[in-house]
Amino acid sequence: MYNLVNLKDKTILITGASSGIGQAIAELLDKLEARVILVARREDKLREVLDGLNNQSSCYYVADLSKLDGIEELIKGIIAEQGALDGFVHSAGIGSSRPLKTIKPNILQEVMSINFSSFVEICRCISIKKRYAESGCSIVGISSIASCQGNASKTAYSASKAAMDAAVRCMAKELSVKGFRVNTVMPGWIETAIYEQHMQNTKGSADVEAVRARQYLGVGKPVDVATLVAFLLSDAARLITGASLDVTGGGA
Amino acid sequence: MSEREKLALLEDMLELDEGELSAEMKLEDVLQFDSMARLSLIVLFEDEFGKKIVGKDIDGFDTIGDILAKMEE
Repeated sequence: MYNLVNLKDKTILITGASSGIGQAIAELLDKLEARVILVARREDKLREVLDGLNNQSSCYYVADLSKLDGIEELIKGIIAEQGALDGFVHSAGIGSSRPLKTIKPNILQEVMSINFSSFVEICRCISIKKRYAESGCSIVGISSIASCQGNASKTAYSASKAAMDAAVRCMAKELSVKGFRVNTVMPGWIETAIYEQHMQNTKGSADVEAVRARQYLGVGKPVDVATLVAFLLSDAARLITGASLDVTGGGA
Repeated sequence: MSEREKLALLEDMLELDEGELSAEMKLEDVLQFDSMARLSLIVLFEDEFGKKIVGKDIDGFDTIGDILAKMEE
């Protein structure tokens, strides 16, 4: 049978893979017979996700990506042990919700480090010869529709995601000669723990309700994002690069 | 931290003048206590007291005094 999204035996690195969208991506890629390398901070959660996967050669690494100086060693180690990468998905991130008056420089730095700087640093580390597959590599960053829509309390978060979108446009062009494609996916409201917490914390906010109502196909599920990620990782998307694609149920 | 100092933190957060809040006041009577104030309160607990509170905790606050008590915990 013809398989449009063929990821069989591809080696894909996924950060933020222990929960939410990252976990859904790991599970879907596993169903598509890819070998996934999971990265996150919480080993117990990583173990749970890995235990649910079929591919026995999939594995996990425990790492705190906010420590930017440690990323190069981490990536070198992963590739030395697991081989060159066919793809990388950056789903690690924090969903910071802070009124502007509380976003001091250290907070801004923290959000930018985890959501943006770690993404660029990993891209840099895997773009070096022999760290990516000879046939090339597809990178997908999990951005957010917040990157192009303004919402109260989301200054740091939205800026960090917009930075990702801008970076992929540049990296896509620069790395095209090496056979890389680099894109972001911009989810809208997706049923995750972060979503549930945000709705609870901002209970009664007209602003939040207006944004949710705009997503007229309803709140999505993590697998809705994972599906687009799988497509972008596959050769079916070979002409798509430097793009930021939304999964927003009409809310873009 | 004294009760007055804690009240001052809340007054500053809500951009109220000094002395406008008291422990007995009900949250529903504080007009500025909107959804942004809920987020601000979560951040205030994190930044000033190193404590994590969530929306459900705030739903359980009836008076300003309840917030002060949570700061003490």
